[in-house]
Amino acid sequence: MNFLRNSLAITYKDLRSEIRGKDTINASLSFSLVILLLFSFAFDPDSDEVREISGGLLWLVFAFASSLILSRSFARELINDCLDALISSPISPAELFFGKAIANFVLLLVVELVCLPVFGIFYNVQWARQFPVLLLVVMLGTWGMTVIGTLFSAMTVNLRLREIMLPTLVYPFIIPVLLGAVQLSKVLIGGEPVGADNQVWFRLLVAFDVVFTLLAVAFADTVLVG
Amino acid sequence: MERNFLYLCYGLIAAWLIIFIYVVSLALRERSLRQELDRVKKLVEDSEHEARR
Amino acid sequence: MRTKLIVGLCVLACLTLAWNIRTIFLHVPDEANQGAIFRILYFHVPSAMTSFTGFFVAMGFSLMYLVKKDLRYDSIAASITEVSLAFATITLVTGSIWGRIIWGVWWAWDARLTSYFICILIYSGYLMLRRAVDEPNQRARFSTVLSVLGCVDITIVWKSIEWFRTQHPGPVLSVRNGGGMAPGMEAPVYINLIPLLMLSLALILIRMRQEDLRHEVDSLRRYAHSF
Repeated sequence: MNFLRNSLAITYKDLRSEIRGKDTINASLSFSLVILLLFSFAFDPDSDEVREISGGLLWLVFAFASSLILSRSFARELINDCLDALISSPISPAELFFGKAIANFVLLLVVELVCLPVFGIFYNVQWARQFPVLLLVVMLGTWGMTVIGTLFSAMTVNLRLREIMLPTLVYPFIIPVLLGAVQLSKVLIGGEPVGADNQVWFRLLVAFDVVFTLLAVAFADTVLVG
Repeated sequence: MERNFLYLCYGLIAAWLIIFIYVVSLALRERSLRQELDRVKKLVEDSEHEARR
Repeated sequence: MRTKLIVGLCVLACLTLAWNIRTIFLHVPDEANQGAIFRILYFHVPSAMTSFTGFFVAMGFSLMYLVKKDLRYDSIAASITEVSLAFATITLVTGSIWGRIIWGVWWAWDARLTSYFICILIYSGYLMLRRAVDEPNQRARFSTVLSVLGCVDITIVWKSIEWFRTQHPGPVLSVRNGGGMAPGMEAPVYINLIPLLMLSLALILIRMRQEDLRHEVDSLRRYAHSF
């Protein structure tokens, strides 16, 4: 309980800071809208093909949007040595990491929930036909991206090539979760329920989230302190 | 079948080429490390010489 | 002593490889459906096994660093990872050439190939991260984390044949309950693994020597600046 309470204290701090400034979420939203626009030039948005690639389009947008949120996650603490102060505080590195991961998850989820209707309007896609299950898939996929991204954000925060290293490290790791999320989203946006064929993707998402959350929390201390 | 054999040769050549390129890169890296070691050893000698003076 | 070991391993690997190549080309018959290109698998599969073994052994040494806090374990882990990456590249290239003949395409985005390519990207990231971190202990810690997370991904690669429908051939080796190869044709796969492991060990020893040189340079530089 202590672990959760301390983590949520960090989450609350980050979210409150973001609500005041709104710089990361604005940048991430704008970037997502630009990507949605750019994709419309790559193929004909009115064609039936859009339904086939809708899952992939959506998750590419989410993956690119996440890079802005995740890179700011620990970088915002560098000013005035706040990161050192947090690490020296009674809060354990694992709690610090978990709190930031939850904050990043909430921010990314907000961006995604704004992008979904915009995506539906731009590409004439009825995305809400299986909304509860789609929301579950979005949450599972987002958590997978967030937990990996937050860990690597902590790792690369003090490196001179931070902006290059973070995407280089994060994207290969999140490919399995993107694969599962894309396959499931494609089916759900098409209005079909998740059949027996696609259950394996759900299992992949859940397994990925559980395994990498445990590993990330276990290694938070190693990454942040040593 | 002849095409199969040709591609088999390409495959084996590619495999050994990758190993050869890696060995060459290792050799070049070792050479530059040894040169750097000689430079630093000279730097240490000069520093010790300065300190004795 | 180490030089003698390296030379010995290389000579032994070359001799064993020469003998295996003789066996593969003269004694093993063409596969009924694939013809001569089938023989590339005697290098493709052992390379894959060598790289997988290397990645897991490197993870073990990385974890030893975390326990013992001795940078030698990190040096060994980095050396093994780099050599395993070279063998992983060989696996991908030889597999691609095989696929060109059998599937008609240089590349197919199925689960096994994609996951293997992801492994290569992850470990390339590992080497890039090592270059970006100057402080040795921090570099060792980050490398350990990346190595462990990378190995979890390798497990997904390993299991992907069974989990997903895939264009890549399903398990055929008897150790994976495949039973899809004639007895005389399977043995050279394992026999060819031995010289590749010896060659990788020789390359790892050479690479470790360079890590030792690097440490010597760093400590002499610190000593020089202390005057």
